[in-house]
Amino acid sequence: MSDYKLKIVHLFPDFLNLYGDKGNIEAMKKRLEWRDVEAEVCLCTEGNEEIDFENTDIFVLGGGSDREQETVRQKLMEKKDAFKDYAEKGGVILATCGGFELLGNTIRKGEEETECLGILDIETDIAEDGKRFTGNVIIENSELGKIVGFENHSGRMNIKDNTPLGKVITGKGNDGKSGAEGVIYKNVFGTYLHGPLLPKNPDLCDYILNRALKRKYEDFMGLMPLGDHLEDKARRYIIKRFLG
Amino acid sequence: MKKLLAVWAVKILTIAGKIMGKKSTSGPGEIALKICPDLIKRLAGNVGKEIIVTCGTNGKTTTNNLLYTALTKGGYEVVCNNLGANMIGGIATAFASKCNIFGKFTADYACLEIDEASATKVFDHIKPDVMVITNMFRDQLDRYGETEQTMELLNNAIEKAEGVTLVLNGDDPLTTAFGENRNAKYFGISEKVLVNEDNSSEGRFCIKCGSPMKYNFVHYSQLGDFYCEECGNKRPEIDYEAKEIDLSESLKFQINGKHIDLNYRGFYNIYNVLAVYSVMEIIGVDTKHFNGLMSDYKPQIGRMEEFDLGKPFILNLAKNPAGFNQAIETVLQDKRKKDVIIAINDKPGDGIDVSWLWDVDFEKIGEAELNKLYTTGIRVYDLALRFKYSGIEPDMVTDDMEKAILNAMETDAEVCYVLVNYTALFGTQKILKAMRKEKENE
Repeated sequence: MSDYKLKIVHLFPDFLNLYGDKGNIEAMKKRLEWRDVEAEVCLCTEGNEEIDFENTDIFVLGGGSDREQETVRQKLMEKKDAFKDYAEKGGVILATCGGFELLGNTIRKGEEETECLGILDIETDIAEDGKRFTGNVIIENSELGKIVGFENHSGRMNIKDNTPLGKVITGKGNDGKSGAEGVIYKNVFGTYLHGPLLPKNPDLCDYILNRALKRKYEDFMGLMPLGDHLEDKARRYIIKRFLG
Repeated sequence: MKKLLAVWAVKILTIAGKIMGKKSTSGPGEIALKICPDLIKRLAGNVGKEIIVTCGTNGKTTTNNLLYTALTKGGYEVVCNNLGANMIGGIATAFASKCNIFGKFTADYACLEIDEASATKVFDHIKPDVMVITNMFRDQLDRYGETEQTMELLNNAIEKAEGVTLVLNGDDPLTTAFGENRNAKYFGISEKVLVNEDNSSEGRFCIKCGSPMKYNFVHYSQLGDFYCEECGNKRPEIDYEAKEIDLSESLKFQINGKHIDLNYRGFYNIYNVLAVYSVMEIIGVDTKHFNGLMSDYKPQIGRMEEFDLGKPFILNLAKNPAGFNQAIETVLQDKRKKDVIIAINDKPGDGIDVSWLWDVDFEKIGEAELNKLYTTGIRVYDLALRFKYSGIEPDMVTDDMEKAILNAMETDAEVCYVLVNYTALFGTQKILKAMRKEKENE
């Protein structure tokens, strides 16, 4: 029987599930289980919306269509203070694409400004020409090396003084000009790299899991390395294709 | 004169293309439209009866070609883009190819498959009388954007095609929305057929009021007998309904009491047949010998296309989660011990984003009397990872389709399914054809 256990809550996958976010949940779950750490995955869905911030170790918030994203925003705004408190106390959150934008202060579209959760001190402007940044992305994180993924967004994110998840090598990133992609703030990870980001980036996955485990268990020594043969091949394929 | 030049251009370029071994049939039409911008409009005037167009995420090509087959067998002259080139160039090619060298032709009907994003543009040139919409599924997001954007494009197109009769999938809450306050007929499957199909990823919320959608039964994805408790939105009155469905051997069912028996595979083909039947009734073509009219249909390349290589290899194209899930459902219906080869490419024609792999229920393949699993294609590692994280280790991970097929030929499985996405299709078919030829010469 395992001594360690994490509870992962997938926030509103019934609304925000546009880009195969399931992959991130599966990667976390499997990579914990392969190390004999118990993983409990809970779905927070329409009609089943109670969130237990005290006993949650990782929140995952994905991307969705504009309409569905707005529904989720309204639902989460009711829990804004508790959510922010969770993050400030070092709670782990992985937010991708639209979910990343929702963690910021505001999303502005033309004249219209929508208030968001304010967990991250960042702001999003929706591109006036509607142009989407779409394509494969490679970023460089100083600790984790290269991270690969796919972006598809019309938001232009200003992360101000925040630390980015990585430096853009291929692709557009937060705003197409600053060279920054994503944000790491305390244990909150935000990124435009959507969908199955973690299966192909096992080091990032383990990094997030380690943060959650160390927060919960003071004596936790860190996850043992895995083979990751196939994972590395998938990641290296993209790197080779774009960087030679 | 411009018209004649344009027609000749298509003819010459098509022959040249064939010699060069090109598969695309849209190129000649695109050039012809440069020579004569109103080519389609001028030629479409020669169609004596109805112009029927088919749109929708999945099933367009099959529906359009089934309709073409039935009308042709019924003795009518039909213009059709049956090679699947469904943008403006392909439509121009279809019309020009029908002409004789004097730029003349007569036809009773035109059956045209049209890409959703091209429909508005195509309707500048032709005015359809009947428009079929097969379904609305999430497709390649990097190409088409979200389903809502595609629906907006189609709504604009329908507005342009003033007075058109819509033929809609009545089981699809997204597609039925097009029929609101418009002249529409609906087809649907009025009984529960597939078991264990309760998940849906699109349109789970009422398109009108946003409340959770309820179902008496679900066929697959969001298709089924739906209703909304909040606003009263529900599956419409069905004009052409399938019942008494029997998938055990061929495809047997009844449409409004008429017995249908066709030698196809795949539950989803019931929808394609229903759409064709509906159109024929609406345009007033005799459906008395419907089975006979449909019997000449040759599935297009890669639609459950069978190759005998000592044991059957069944090639199937699937382009998006709904298409793949239906292909997997068909594999599950086959109880033989089987090998499965899956190829995923990410060229522009496929959609360059492979995130959707995680929206396909690939883990179900494990329940399919699976013997060996092969993963291949440009994004073979993403696919293999998808399987690894759902607890199935592929037996072979290779970028070489030929190697996978050769290996599968040697196993003791009774059948091999080859599921591929778009740009992997032609190459795979070529390999299978070559191997079949080799086998015949042995």
